[in-house]
Amino acid sequence: MGNQGRILAIGPTDNTSDQRTPRQRLRLIPEEARSSFVPVVPARYATTPHEWDMTRTAPDRPRADGVPIEVTGRVRTASGRPVAGALLEVWSANHYGRYRHIEDHSGLQLDENHLGLGRVLTDDEGCYRFWAISPGAYLARPDIGRWRPKHIHMSLSGGSSRLITQMYFPGEPNNATDPMAILMGDAFERNIGRPREVGTADVVQAFDFDIVVGGRNATFFE
Amino acid sequence: MTDPASNLLPATNEDTCGPYFPIFFADPGLEDLTKFDPGVVGQAAGTSLVLRGRVLDRHGELANGVVMEFWQANANGVYRTPATEGHADIDPWFHGYGRLRSATGAYEFRTILPGAAEGRAPNITITIFSDGINRVVTQMFFDNQPGNEADPLLLAVGDDAPKLIARHDGRTSSGAEVYVFDIVMAGDGETPFFDDLES
Repeated sequence: MGNQGRILAIGPTDNTSDQRTPRQRLRLIPEEARSSFVPVVPARYATTPHEWDMTRTAPDRPRADGVPIEVTGRVRTASGRPVAGALLEVWSANHYGRYRHIEDHSGLQLDENHLGLGRVLTDDEGCYRFWAISPGAYLARPDIGRWRPKHIHMSLSGGSSRLITQMYFPGEPNNATDPMAILMGDAFERNIGRPREVGTADVVQAFDFDIVVGGRNATFFE
Repeated sequence: MTDPASNLLPATNEDTCGPYFPIFFADPGLEDLTKFDPGVVGQAAGTSLVLRGRVLDRHGELANGVVMEFWQANANGVYRTPATEGHADIDPWFHGYGRLRSATGAYEFRTILPGAAEGRAPNITITIFSDGINRVVTQMFFDNQPGNEADPLLLAVGDDAPKLIARHDGRTSSGAEVYVFDIVMAGDGETPFFDDLES
């Protein structure tokens, strides 16, 4: 314990982590500069009304392949205050583990009914809800046979809260070998969606994923 | 480890944004802060500038697929936050938050020259998200600006201060001042990154 910043860990078996993780100790922010390091994201985003349902590309299109799921949760700061009116940007692979992103060259199967892109806002209580297709795991490193476990990306921005994270799924065999999960250690549990009873006939599985923005993601203006 | 604030909820872990941050989520209004939004009459006050540069990895290669976020004060040196709501020097056409995604790792961001906030030299906070890392944060300054020599952040990094200062590189035909700022994520010439957790 000293008055110095952290050294960031490198994700094992992760090439980009090796190439991009700063090697120097992070510098502590001088107190006089502290407030300048807390961006306040303006509430100027709009979402289109159907984007909460990522199981279709549009309301008049059929369901994508795979298992439709519902994800719900509440976003709070570390002190428990709901993060209301925040933008949650969500992206995930399709049932076959393929992103409909022009830079995904994996060659895995695309699905004409799947975009894997959604944006929702948290309500006054900080709660959110979306539907998605349970994403496929995919072989991220064919050279060493390492898979990325099923996961859904989420980017949260609202006021001075900012977090990019991923929701993982319980009991997945590849969870234990994921480089980022390894770095999280025991705290990885917090990033696993909690299965809950399905409340509608429209989805097959449902998960709760509560988000706490805290730690290094200071919410300065709280 | 003792946590003096142990009544706090345990935070969700940050995770890498991966290589496929959706271009679909791009917002042109966040890539050019000199105007309110494309197609709307509303010009931010101040000197227009183009900030360009490269994000480089440990081998000096471009770091492809990076998401960059920018945060700065307006031309009067005032940040738009809940604390400054109603402040006389708020610019209605400037909010100070920008975001872009670069496929290659080279970037160009349009904004205005921030004014000096109290006790600080003009600066822009830059956050980077990319595959393989959680967010890293730095702050950049402008060469030959009054106040650089006394800025507490530049003083704190000592000999590394030049790595945080963007180089002036002429102006565009439309009169915007061009500044160049490369970010080295790791290895030789590594850019200083900042954090507020102690180890």
